[in-house]
Amino acid sequence: MIHLNNVRKFYGALEVIKGVDVTVEDGEFAVFVGPSGCGKSTLLRMIAGLEGIDSGDLVLNGTRINDVPPDKRGIAMVFQSYALYPHMTVAENIGFSLSLKKVAPAEIRRQVEEVAEILQLGELLDRRPGALSGGQRQRVAIGRAIIKKPALILFDEPLSNLDSALRVQMRAELQRLHRELSATVVYVTHDQVEAMTMADKIVVLNQGTVAQVGPPMDLYHRPDNEFVATFIGSPKMNILPVAVTRESADRAHIAGPLGMSFVLADASLSEGPARMGVRPEHIKVVDTQAAHFVAEVAIVERLGVETYLTVGSIEQPIVVRVEGDVTFRPGDRVPFAAETTACHIFSPDGRILRSAKAA
Amino acid sequence: MSVAPPGESANCVRGDLMAYATLSLISIFCAIPFFWLLIASFDGNAQLFLRWPETWTFANYLRVFAKEDGAKWLFNSLFVVGSATFLVMVLSGLGGYALSRTRAWWKLPFLYAILLIRVLPSTALVVPLYKFLLTLNNAEGALLRPIFGSATRDIMRWTGFIDGYLGLILVLATMQLPLSLWIMKTFFDGLPRDYEEAALMDGATMIQRIRRVLVPLALPGLAASGLFAFMSAWGDFLLPLILLSSPELQTLPLGLFRAFLRINEIDYGLLTALAFIYLVPAVVAFGFARRFLVQTFSGGVKG
Ligand SMILES: Nc1ncnc2c1ncn2[C@@H]1O[C@H](COP(=O)(O)OP(=O)(O)OP(=O)(O)O)[C@@H](O)[C@H]1O
Ligand SMILES: [Mg+2]
Repeated sequence: MIHLNNVRKFYGALEVIKGVDVTVEDGEFAVFVGPSGCGKSTLLRMIAGLEGIDSGDLVLNGTRINDVPPDKRGIAMVFQSYALYPHMTVAENIGFSLSLKKVAPAEIRRQVEEVAEILQLGELLDRRPGALSGGQRQRVAIGRAIIKKPALILFDEPLSNLDSALRVQMRAELQRLHRELSATVVYVTHDQVEAMTMADKIVVLNQGTVAQVGPPMDLYHRPDNEFVATFIGSPKMNILPVAVTRESADRAHIAGPLGMSFVLADASLSEGPARMGVRPEHIKVVDTQAAHFVAEVAIVERLGVETYLTVGSIEQPIVVRVEGDVTFRPGDRVPFAAETTACHIFSPDGRILRSAKAA
Repeated sequence: MSVAPPGESANCVRGDLMAYATLSLISIFCAIPFFWLLIASFDGNAQLFLRWPETWTFANYLRVFAKEDGAKWLFNSLFVVGSATFLVMVLSGLGGYALSRTRAWWKLPFLYAILLIRVLPSTALVVPLYKFLLTLNNAEGALLRPIFGSATRDIMRWTGFIDGYLGLILVLATMQLPLSLWIMKTFFDGLPRDYEEAALMDGATMIQRIRRVLVPLALPGLAASGLFAFMSAWGDFLLPLILLSSPELQTLPLGLFRAFLRINEIDYGLLTALAFIYLVPAVVAFGFARRFLVQTFSGGVKG
């Protein structure tokens, strides 16, 4: 178990990690995700010991390891560039940490072959990294990490150098490895799809703070704030400026752009400006009399099983997911309604006020 | 796609021919001195002008090594320039690494300042340099003489600043260091830190990181910096001329120069043989370093 307790990092006067609290359980696959520059790599490097920790505690299996040197932490790291030594063979690369410890060559060979077996690198052991494909290099880099039998494996955007087909394949591969080794993994990426598909637990970072922690579907359905709501999910959640007025004790009226007007079953919202979040799949095409708003179709993206319509104005586009074989064309005026149970209401500064009821 | 009219393609061919002819002429013009050197050095009766030898002989080379002190000159040159090159490679490797990785504010000013050393003609610095080295040399002599007595001169031949190997080695290395530092700094700039950090995570000590990771990775850069240092120091004539006076310390270019200055008749055979010997190490150094220079490390980054 690794635990970060109010961890901070400064570069000069600039605070890049602003008090992060995260716990990753044994055997968990945790993904740190966030936009570029939010401090993911910095946080990972602090866990690895490559960056100092300015304040807070880093606790691995009950021991505070803030001041333990990187190689004594029992943590292995797979670098984004893989950092395979070009002058060593695959076997030498994988066995490098053992050879530094003066382990007998025969024993190194045995362990390297064991790791190569797991990673299906058998025939490549005598090649040099220069003669490997991207996916193979990736596996060698992982082999170099797991031969150390680490308590924790760190990955910094390990798939970003691969093409998209290989990326999908390596995602599955990494999940298989994680199961087989029952390793604890902290994985950094800026790609929310990677986070959603692989994580047991997602940690969303925004500008050096934790925006939300939770299992993927929790973040998807019950985001704590507008940042997480728009960051997780593709296409993004629609965010609309709305005005809330109370109709009665348990009903609130929502008025928004494009003449949007409907009533929510709600007892807690107070009157005033707010922001409404609704995912593309929670807006439906309806009969004119049931419409919350009517909008003109601007873009039709057919993906086969589903079609995405971008409707409304350029300043306030709304993305709607509809069936794959609809016949809408740009310029059509279509009546829509939002699923009122699936609407999120955020305060003007982005805090959640009312969560969706959907599971 | 349009087809070029026949006239135009003929023009092209003619243009190409002209270009090749011109280039060939220039090449021949450049190559002739070397060619002359080569054949004259094997000519029993070499003359100032290019001619085909009547008799092929090794006599010129024999004369260099038997009659003259050629072997000693060659050794002196190789030893002095080799040591200076080695020194430059070690210092530029370590210094280039430090300069590449530091974030100190004085980094750029420092880099430009040392480049200035390279830009300033060393001839302009000869007098203060000599004076400085002479002072050092005298101090060293004063220190050693009471201890070693009459053996001092023999020791100073190695460690002296004037008329000793050490002084010349240091000065040659100093002259070559700026460029080599720049080469190595630029080289390390292009070498991701990930390699060292990966080694650090694997538990490599500082010495292990240098020996097993950085040096192998830096070999192409070191080869480049060493090659430039060697070639430039090998060709240097002024510094040994000023700093060395003992006959037994003469380097090849000095031997060549002095043989050329002899009052009696000029011995072209000897001169060309000497010159050819002088050329060989530079060519060998180039061939040796080329292997590393073209070696592309396509490991690590990107697929
Ligand atoms: N050595 C440094 N000195 C000063 N600022 C730094 C340094 N390293 C990183 N930063 C800053 O810290 C912030 C976080 O950087 P970090 O590399 O952790 O981002 P990231 O989330 O990994 O981004 P990316 O997805 O682009 O890799 C950035 O704003 C960056 O500019
Ligand atoms: Mg990063």
